[in-house]
Parts: sequence; structure tokens; C-alpha cells
Amino acid sequence: MYRVLQTLIFALMATAALHAGPPGAGEKILPFPIHQTVLDNGLKIVTIEFDSPGIIAYYTVVRSGSRNEVESGLSGFAHFFEHMMFRGTEKYGKDKYNDVLKSIGADNNAFTTDDYTTYHTLASAEALETIMDLESDRFMNLKYSEEAFKTEAGAILGEYNKNYSSPFLTIFEKLRNAAYTVHTYKHTTMGFLGDIMDMPNQYQYSLTFFNRWYRPEYCTVLIVGDVQHHKTVAMAKKYYGKWKRGNYVLDVPKEPPQTKGSVVEMSWKAETLPILAIGYHGPAFSDAQIDMPAMDVLSQALFSQSSNLFRKLVIEEQAVEFVQGGQQDSRDPGQFTIFTRIKDPKMIQKVSDEIDGTIEEAKTTPVSAERLAEIKSFLKYSYAMGLDNADAIARSIVHYIAMTGDPESVNKVYALYDRVTAEDLMAVASKYFDANNRTVVLLTQEGAKQ
Amino acid sequence: MRPLSFVILVIVLITLISGSIDAKTPVKVTEIRSEHSPLVNFRIILRAGSINDPKGKEGLNALTAFLLAKGGTKELTYQQVVASLYPWAASINVQPDKEITTFIGNVHRDHLEEFYKIFSDLLLNPRFDPDDFTRNKDLAISFLEKNLRGTDDENLGKEALGLVMFGNHPYGTADATVQGLKSSTLEDVKEYYAKTYTIGTMWIGIAGGYPRAFVETMKKDFGKLPDGKFSPISLPEPEAINGLEIAFVEKPARGTAISIGHPLPVTRKDKDFYALLVANSHFGEHRTFNGVLMNRLRGDRGLNYGDYSYIEKFTGGTGSSRFPNVNTPLRQQYFSIWLRPVQPENAHFAVRAALFELEKYVKEGLTAEQFQQTRKFVSNYSKLWAQTLDRRLGYKMDSEFYGTGDYIERIDKELKTLTVADVNSAIKKYISPANLKVAIVANDGKSLMEAMVSNAPSPINYQSPVSEKILEEDKLISNYSLSINPKKTKLIRVQQLFENESPSRTLGRKDKENIR
Repeated sequence: MYRVLQTLIFALMATAALHAGPPGAGEKILPFPIHQTVLDNGLKIVTIEFDSPGIIAYYTVVRSGSRNEVESGLSGFAHFFEHMMFRGTEKYGKDKYNDVLKSIGADNNAFTTDDYTTYHTLASAEALETIMDLESDRFMNLKYSEEAFKTEAGAILGEYNKNYSSPFLTIFEKLRNAAYTVHTYKHTTMGFLGDIMDMPNQYQYSLTFFNRWYRPEYCTVLIVGDVQHHKTVAMAKKYYGKWKRGNYVLDVPKEPPQTKGSVVEMSWKAETLPILAIGYHGPAFSDAQIDMPAMDVLSQALFSQSSNLFRKLVIEEQAVEFVQGGQQDSRDPGQFTIFTRIKDPKMIQKVSDEIDGTIEEAKTTPVSAERLAEIKSFLKYSYAMGLDNADAIARSIVHYIAMTGDPESVNKVYALYDRVTAEDLMAVASKYFDANNRTVVLLTQEGAKQ
Repeated sequence: MRPLSFVILVIVLITLISGSIDAKTPVKVTEIRSEHSPLVNFRIILRAGSINDPKGKEGLNALTAFLLAKGGTKELTYQQVVASLYPWAASINVQPDKEITTFIGNVHRDHLEEFYKIFSDLLLNPRFDPDDFTRNKDLAISFLEKNLRGTDDENLGKEALGLVMFGNHPYGTADATVQGLKSSTLEDVKEYYAKTYTIGTMWIGIAGGYPRAFVETMKKDFGKLPDGKFSPISLPEPEAINGLEIAFVEKPARGTAISIGHPLPVTRKDKDFYALLVANSHFGEHRTFNGVLMNRLRGDRGLNYGDYSYIEKFTGGTGSSRFPNVNTPLRQQYFSIWLRPVQPENAHFAVRAALFELEKYVKEGLTAEQFQQTRKFVSNYSKLWAQTLDRRLGYKMDSEFYGTGDYIERIDKELKTLTVADVNSAIKKYISPANLKVAIVANDGKSLMEAMVSNAPSPINYQSPVSEKILEEDKLISNYSLSINPKKTKLIRVQQLFENESPSRTLGRKDKENIR
């Protein structure tokens, strides 16, 4: 009786909240329409109106990340170039660019990943034209001296140094390096240290890099918040209209299937607990194929805080501090990676066996309908709860623009989650979780006994 | 005698009468209701923090908070709590700090009632499970031993500065120590909870799309806590600093992390704070290219990734968001400079460069034009700090802590009447370029200490040519004399930090075991 009453109460509450809740089956995950226009030169303009009175998030996505670093000795260049984009043009030199941003009180920065680089500004909606003037100018007319280029290389090394105090960067480096043989995912976005040290000598290449990728057909301008599409497009034609297409076609080496598992052991000088990282080659991102959404659901089933493995290793046996697993979306096949930090070096083998056992079980044991429903609910609420400000919405959409070039991919992917079945999970577990397709990195403290 | 007895009698009677009408202090509530918001954010603050830790049990406040937030209720085990929250993607976290401890809950309003039952039970009817206690205690100890000491040099430097800066002041004790945590038992936690979690200390914050009557339910539920008044620990004036007092923290490290600062006698409640807010934005606005420090050290010289300054405690803002965490207020604040890791061979030069710029900043202040630009920036930029309801709630509670009225509005109001003279006189009055505490995390702290104490020249070599102007300035900087106080400058092995007491006391004891 209580349950019936409770259900009724929540049904009433849900009615009140319907317009704001996550979508049911068949509805789009993003509750706001996406407006898109492609300019004659190939530049895509995307706007999403969101109730953030007076504020806009202005993002420019360049579909060029460390994946595009195909030439040997030049890893880390997409990220380095991101820094150079703040070095100014003839019209707006470095200081002038900054002064204008300062005068409008903007929050402005950029970041680079495996697959893309994005430049973002959060500011008053009134400043839209000012921002577009600044951004279009630097994307078309960037100019910097060799001296400025070399000085900025020092900041890159500083960034590497700051990240390096955490062993996770090194583990990622080792994992990528061992798992890939020819594909550019072999290096992290920071790049190989040797290449970072050599960056000051690559001024000429930086000009080539700009000419290749900072072209309209590789870019999308996304504006979220207090924005109107038709006005924005008219403005974009004025500011970006003269931008010329490029002609470079990327050929990223295809990674051959891994035929034998590998193990990399490494030691760490500073105090640390053992960290175990296990990587399997997984699928590429797709908004049409079921593999990647199925891997996302599987990662929740096996490695989320609600999983049996987490309950056993973290809560009951307290053998590890945390365990997590999953695969980030990537344009080419990426790594499904499991991380755990083990409380006692003597427990490494046992923990490793437990993870293997969980993976083997996933190949043959179907996830219950109830559990599957919980996971799908988590994924939807998790996304819906992140939609509370213009910047967060823009950031989530940028990701999909980078993956496929189409912001509607977000709605397509969440529709695919609805279709994932227990059989799909067993199928992707069998397909990807193969010992020959695995790379393991184990980091322990120097001198620690196992 | 008669009049006095009469007065006492009247007071007693009034107390009795008022006691019979309202036996308990009402629970303090701060709310921002937004009917159409699909989310509900909770910030439930305990007005106690690490300064309330009993001596020898440093970390007890944090451990108690973690056991509540990451434990079970009388009805549900921790595992059941986690399983319940999962399909809603709801979260419960805790942020223990020096003065306050904030329990943060976020849920979609579809699940508000069920979520609140669990969240409130965690705080009001905790399970105090021994296994949960062990798990949280191990994690807290590991955080100090492995994360902070081992793998996070930037935060290590900042935390070390926080400790040395306040000396014997209550803020000078670590928020947790390894030995303090080890000696804390489950009974200690229960006792601390019973004593500290009262109607007087709990402060409810809620924002979002909750029903109008919801707050009354919360007040009633939290009103069941034991009665108790909020009585903050009194804080002494921080000790005076004499010259540069440097703690060199030695550990295996690729780069050298540097933090510099001194206590500051103004907070958001003071008018002068707003003059310093503009001044500091010009000198070192966090993660922007507006600041003098960033432009001179990174922009001109490529010394590192970033160089910033602050006029109050600033945590967070190092990931995708550059804005600080809310709900870390202090009654006494501090000025600080943060130099992100530099190449070890440039560490001495980097400290000199930062202090060279600091001296110039104090001496020259801002020009009228710089003042106008920066004032406009701060006025606009501050509007971006509270974009979500959750952050607005956090800022609103901080505003109440300081008694500022709405902080963002106060900035606007104060900045309107501010003059360049106000700003420059505030810099001179409050910022000292000579008397500072410094924490340096370095691989070879001993050599760096020797070089710095002896004021040895620290020329810098660039991989690339820089302008003549910079080279000329470098000559001044590389010989810039630092007035280091050798008596208050020490080398500490990283294992001694956060072990059992504040390093400032460790330094004072001249314990040969601890200090080389």
C-alpha cells in the first residue's frame, strides 16, 4: 500500500516537473533546439538558445588535436599551437587582444585533446560582436615572431612539469606508447618529452600547422545562451566571410589489431600506492553503431560505484582506494581503460584477478533488465543535471561537434543508449576484452615490496 | 543590593518565559527558490572546521564529515546509499575547511523527496559503521601520505604555505595530520559529532526547484538536533613576519613549486578589501593574462605555466573552471603569490622576479588608466562567478558569513566609488614586499636554500633570444637582494609535513631528527 501511495505521490511530482526532466524514450536528450548554418567557405555556425540572460558562451572548435600530429618528432604540436593562438595579430597584438577581453570582463581560455582544440570565451551577450571580431581576426590573421614562439615553448615545458608530479600522466604516456604502434594516439596530447624539448626549433612547422588546420572547413563556431541565430549568422558572414578554405587532407595511420598482450612495469620515486592501469583497444566513436554506447553502458555495469566490483574491492574488502573503468569517446578506436589504486602492494595480483574475473563474467552473464534500466537512467540524469549553465552546455556540445562535425550527435547517441540490450553488452565484452588486445601498466613505489 | 537582585530576578524570569515559548534556537536557513529549475542543490554547513579539532586529533573534524557523507544511515548501509543515488545520478559530497564544513547534495527534482530522506539521515541519523570508519580513515591518511606528499606538488606548496604563514595561530595547524588521524577512534568521531552537530552550528542552504513548503520540513528535521549555540573560537592576531621566512620542502620533484604570502587584516566585510580586489586583479588575476606576474614571468620569459596572486584563500579553479570554490571563508585572510612549477635551475630567479615585481607594484601602484581598466574588468568578471544556482547559493552563504550583503552586488557598489588613490594607498598599507613567508617544494632543497640564503647571483639562460629590455631587467633581477631571515628559514623533509603538528612548531623546536 505504501509503495502504491509513494508511486502516486512521485507521479504527481513528476507531472509538475515534466518539462524539465530528462527525456523519455524517443525524446531528445538536449531539451533545446540546435540551429546550424554552414557558410560558403565551409565554416559551421551553431547556436543554442538557453535561459542565461545577458550571458553567452562562445566556442570555436578546431577539429585538430594530437591525433593530427602525424609527423615524427612533432608530437604535442596541436596543444603548443593552442598557446600560440594567444600571441596576437597585426590588428590585435597580444596585449591589445587581452585589453579588449579585459574591458568586457570576459573569461577566456582554450584546451586541446586527442581529437580537437577549442577556444572559449564566456562574456556578456552585448559583447558578441566584439568577441567575433577578435576571434575571426586571430583565426585568419595570426602573426607571431620566432622569439615569441620560443618563449612560449618554455611555458609548455612548465605545463608538462606541473602535470608530471602526478604519476597518472606518466602512466598514460606508457600505456599509450605500449598499446599503439603506428596510430597517433601513441602519444598523449602533451606530446613526448623529447619533442617538447625540441619545440623551440620548430617555428617553421608551426606556420605549416596553422595553414593546414586553422581553416573554415575544420572549424565550428558554437554560441550558447542569450543568442539569436539569424543575427549571429549575418554577423558571421561579415567577420568570417573572407576566410579561405585550405586543401590539406589528413591521413592518420591505421592501427593494426594488437596480437599479443603486454605488461609495462614502472617505479615512482615519490611516495605512492601501487596503481594498476589496464587498457583494451575499443571502438571508435559513432552515433550510428551500437558498439560505443554499449561500451559506455558496460563500463557503468562493471566499474561504477554501483557495480559488484566496487562493492567488493572498495567497500567490503577495502583492498583498493578506487576502481574505475571506461572509454573516452575518440574519432579513431580508443582505449577502454581500467584504473585502480591498491592499498597494499601484496594485493596487486588478487585485485588484478578480480578485475579479470569481472571481465570474463561480462562475456557470458547477461545484465538484468532492472540493472540495465538503472544504468540508462543514470546516464540520462547525469547529462540532464549538467545542463545548468551556458558554458557547461556548450562544452558538452563541443565534444560531439569534434567527434562527427554534427552537434545533433548528442541526441543520436543518447537515443542509441535506449537501444542497448544485455546481449549487446556481452557481445562488446567478448569482442574487445581479449587478453591479446590488452596492455597493462603497473606503477609501484621505488623499493616497495610486492 | 535590592535593585541588583531585582534585575537578576527579572533576567531569570525573562529567560524562563522565552525558554518556555521557544525552547530551541531556530535552525539557520539560506535559500534561493527558483520554481522552474529542474535541479535542487543543498549546501548544509556545519559552522565548525579543522580549527575545532582537539589537540593531537588533527583531522577529526574532516574524518567525521567524511564518515557522514561517505557512510551509511541507521536504515541503509553505505552500499545501499550508493545504490539508491545511482539511478538518479544524484551526488553527496563534503568539503571540510578551517572554519566551516560544507555538505553538498545535488539531485534532479524528480527524486527530491527520496534523496532528501537519505541526505538528511546521513547527517541526522548516521550509521557510524566501523568498516566505513576504517575506509574513510585510510583514505584520509593516504591522501596526506601519498597524494599531497607524493604526487601533487602544486597543492603541497600551497598547503605548506598555509601552515607556515600562520605559525602558532589556530590556522597554522594542519587541517589533518597522519598521526592525528591515526589516533582518532570511532568513539572520538561519535563524541565530536554529538558535541558539534547541534541546532546552533548547522546551517541549511537550499537552491532550485523545490516546493515552497520544503524548507519547513527541513527546519523541523534539523530542529531535532541537540540544542547548542554557535560560539566561534577566538582568533589571535597572527605573528609578525620578519624578513623572508622560507620553508624548503624537499621531495623527488621534476619542477619547483613556489608559494609566497603573508596574513592580511582585511576580508570581504571591509571597505579596503575592494580596493585590494582591483589592485590584485592588476597584479595577479588567477589564470588570466591580465596580471603583471603572469605577463612578466610567463609571457616575457616562459618561466612556467602560470603566476598569480590572491587576497583571500582561493581553492579550486585549476581545472576547466577558473573560478574559486565557494564556502571556504576565513575570518582572517592572507595575501599570496602562486608560482606554478619552474625548472629547478630557474627557481631562485623566479622568486627574485616575483618579489622584484611585488616591490615595484607596492611602490608604484596602478596608473589611472590601469585602474580604470581593471575596475571595469572586475566589475564585469565578477558577474560570471555565480552562474549556477548552486554557486549563487554558495556565494550567498559566504556573504552571510562575512556580513557583506550580496557579495557580487557589494563589489559593484564599492567599485563605483573607488579611486586610484584608494587602491594605491591600500596596496601600501596592507601588502608587504619585505616580510613574507615562503614555501618552496624542490628536489634539491638544500642547494637551493644555500644559494638563496647567501644571495648568490641567479642568472637565467634562455633557449631563445629575448629582447634587450628584458635582458637588462634580468641583470637587476638576478642580483636582486632578498632579505632572508636565516633563523626562520629551514629545510624540511616532505615526510615531516602533515605528520603530527604544524611545521612552524616543528621548525621552532629545532628537532635534529626532523630538520637537516
